[in-house]
This record gives sequence, structure tokens and C-alpha cells, in this order.
Amino acid sequence: MIRFDNVSKRYPGSDEILKNISFNIDAGEFVFVTGHSGAGKSTLLKLIAATELPSRGTVLIANQNVSQLKASAIPYLRRRFGLIFQDHKLLFDRNCFENVVLPLRINGVAEQEAAKRVRAALDKVGLLNKEKVMPITLSGGEQQRLAIARAVVSRPAILLADEPTGNLDAEYAAEIMNIFRAFHQVGVTVIMSTHDALGMSNQHRVLHLHQGSLSDMHIQNMSENSQPGVAS
Amino acid sequence: MSHLLNHHLQAIKLVLRRMRMSALSTFVICLVIAVALCLPSLFYLGVDNLAKLGNHMQSETEISLFLKSDISPENTAKIEAALAQHPDIAEYHFVSRDEAWSQLQRKSAGNADISNAIQHLGSNPLPDAFFIQAKSTEPAQLEMLRDRLQRLEGVEQALLNAEWAKRLAMILNLGRQFVLFVGLLLAIVLLVVIGNTIRMQMLTQKSEIEVSYLIGATNSFIKIPFLYAGAFYGLFGGMLSVLMIATMITSFNLSVTEISTLYGSDFKLNLLNIKLYLAIIAIAVITGWIGAYVAVSRAIRQIRLQ
Repeated sequence: MIRFDNVSKRYPGSDEILKNISFNIDAGEFVFVTGHSGAGKSTLLKLIAATELPSRGTVLIANQNVSQLKASAIPYLRRRFGLIFQDHKLLFDRNCFENVVLPLRINGVAEQEAAKRVRAALDKVGLLNKEKVMPITLSGGEQQRLAIARAVVSRPAILLADEPTGNLDAEYAAEIMNIFRAFHQVGVTVIMSTHDALGMSNQHRVLHLHQGSLSDMHIQNMSENSQPGVAS
Repeated sequence: MSHLLNHHLQAIKLVLRRMRMSALSTFVICLVIAVALCLPSLFYLGVDNLAKLGNHMQSETEISLFLKSDISPENTAKIEAALAQHPDIAEYHFVSRDEAWSQLQRKSAGNADISNAIQHLGSNPLPDAFFIQAKSTEPAQLEMLRDRLQRLEGVEQALLNAEWAKRLAMILNLGRQFVLFVGLLLAIVLLVVIGNTIRMQMLTQKSEIEVSYLIGATNSFIKIPFLYAGAFYGLFGGMLSVLMIATMITSFNLSVTEISTLYGSDFKLNLLNIKLYLAIIAIAVITGWIGAYVAVSRAIRQIRLQ
């Protein structure tokens, strides 16, 4: 579903942030992208979401070469993804409902249908009673959950989350992790970056980045029972 | 198709809601647009009405030859003979002072003020006159003919009636160019005002636009609401301008009616100038749309670069 072949990325005036990365992610996987800050995790996610294009190599999303897509086709590619950003990128000038409905407006979903779906998404993240609340009044964990609701409201097949628990304390982080796990269980592909190796679950695949190289790629399979999502 | 329609309907609803939320600033922008549209429109109305008045008169390329009031019948006969022989004159007719006097009395019978004034005059102040139709309609030739007739003995004054109409036509031409020029300048002002407004709005909604791009918005999804906003500013400004013009015409007509009845005229500015009103609104909408389009394209490039 997502395939990187010898992908390198370099921004103008900087060293290569990613060097010759190759991997393949199948539908339905739960993948962690780990590494120190600055290791290129965010860049990797941006390449997947086609908000950045590779400097070298090919990125294939659903068998489409991102570099060869027309600019007008890229928005439609992005709609396959639900994006969650570390800084939420919520819009603070409107209430929770209006934040979550944005992707549906972009997709041209009719008003009534959109309202139904927004409530379903808010329900999934436990914010159904906060529909009319302005996001600035929410706690950090609630804001991140709102961002997740916005990412999943258009029912994307792939969730891309850039350090979604990075700024949260352990309790909230566990909550967020459980939400992602629930989506994974219903068949959504989840790709999540985290700088904190202990913050991730243990039965999932890990792509580890070190100084721009994919130095490590393995499936951890340790204790099934260890408490997920807790950062020490 | 319904998808596209839905898209546009949502954009329109969004724009109207935003305008309602900032009703005062929307009104101020519309007011600026309305005033900018009013100026050339009023000039145009003025020129247009003068032109109508002018057209009415322009067909008369008549030379009026007023004779001295103490002229002898022999002298009058001599002038008539000269007119009859003149090669440039197509036809002429003589109106004696008595005929003119009774004509005036007949014409003014309906108007109490003027007939009163005539009664007060007592004796007949009018001169004998020849009314001459020249063969040519060329202004230069007509003027030559007038000058020659002026030099005849016993002639008090030779008037070329077409002259003021010609001058009026020239002034009107100048006026039309002026209207066009002022209109163009104010169209540029409109473009700048609307463009700037839209650009500011886009910058205040920068984060929304950025997020929208990230989650798969197309360019047209971002652009359409702002293009509608520009068109709506034009529409509301144009409508406000029409309202202002109609009010001004009505009040002008009210005061002009008093004067024009004094002169026995029914001169009035036409209130229901639908074509002009539609033109004003159409120009405003198109200008608003263009202004928004330029601003949106520039602002999007700016936002995407960051």
C-alpha cells in the first residue's frame, strides 16, 4: 500500500534528512516510526502524506508514484489519509463541531450527512458532549482527541500521526493510544511517529530512524500484557 | 454535478455567514464601493440627459434673421429679394412682428405666469424676422452665410441656431470621455479596495487555509468562497449605489419640477433607468470578482510558499 524505494530527502541548504530509505507497509498494519528528534520522522510522514516530495527515489501510495502525480491530483491522494499533527493544528476561531466538519466540507459531503458523521467521530473520541465548545477551553488530551476526530471523520484507510502523544502526560497518552488501537482493530492502517521508544505498544512493527537512515526495522514481540502508551 | 452545486452552495452560505458576523465592516466596504460607483454614474446621467436635450435641438440648422425694429417696408423687401437670390439658401419664410406676437400669446395661454407677464408688457416688443433654412448643414458654411446675412442693412442680428447645439455636442463628447476616464480610475480604486479586503481576510484565515491544504483541499475549494465574497461585495455595493442614485434623482426631480414648471417645461431626470442600474450592478460584480481573483491567486501563492 505504501512503498518507499531508495528515498532521499534534502531541503535546500541542508544535509540529507533521509538517506536511501526503503520499506513497504501493507494495509491494516500498525507501524511506529521511532528515532530521536531530528532523525527525520516528521519528514518521513510528510513524504507519505505527499505534503513533501522526495529528492530522490520513489514513493508509491496505492501504486501511484507521488512524484509523477499532477499537482491537481495530490489533494485527492491526501484525502486517503487522516492526518494528526503534534501541534493539533486545530482552528481556535470555531467550535469543536466546526473543526471536525472541515474534511467533510472539503469532500463535499452534504450538510445532514456531515453532521451525523461528525457526531459519530466525536463520540468515538469521547467528546460528543463538547460539540459546541471552543477548542481553546479543552485540555491538551482533549484537544488531541479532537484532532483525531477530525482525522477520522472522513473515514480514511490510513491514519498518519506525528507524535500525537508527544506533549501529553502518561494518562492522556494512554487514552490516545487506546483510541488508535481501536481504529486499528477495525482495519485502519495506523502509522505513528514517536521519539519515545517506551511510549509505544509492543506488538507492532517499528521503523527506527537514526541520522536519516532506516537503521533498524523489526517487529517487536515482547510481553503482550505490558501497559501500552505509558511514557516513563 | 450535485457535488459541485453543494460545494458552491456551502461556499455561498459560508461567505454570507462571515459577512453577517462582521456586518459593520462589510457595510463600510459596500459603502466605499457604492460611492465610487455613484460618481461616474451621476456624471453619466448628467451627460446623457444633456445629450437628449441637445439631440432635440440639433436638427434645426436654421438661421434666424431679426430685423431692426424701426425698419422700413422698402428695406424689408430689399432683404427679402437678397434672400431669394442667394444661392446657399434653400428656403425662407417671413414672420412679421404681429404674427410672432399673437403666436406667443397663443402658446403661453396655458401658462398663467407667462401670459400675465405678457399682459404687463402691453406693447409688442418683438421684431420682424426671417427664418432661413440653408442648403448646407456644414457648420463652417453656415457660419459664413450667417456672417454675410449679418452685414445686410437693416438686420439687427443673425442667429445660427445650430451653433449652440454644435458646441453642446462638443462639450458632451468631452463629458463622455471624462465619464469614461473617471469610471476607469474608480474601477481601479474598486479593484484595489476589494482585492485588499479579500487579501486581509485570507491572511486572517491563513491557518484554516493551511490545514485545509494539508487534509486534501483543492485550490478551487480554497478560492471559491473568496471569489464569492468579492462578487458579493460588488453586488451589495452596486445595489447600495443604485439606491443612492435613485434617491438623488428623486430629490433632484422634486426641486427641478418647481423650476421647470416656471419655464413651462416638463424636464425631468428619468428615475427608472433599468439599463443603467443593471449595468452598474454588473460592473460592480465583475470588478469585485476580478479584484478577488487577483488577490486570492497572490495570497495563495504567498501562503503555500511558507
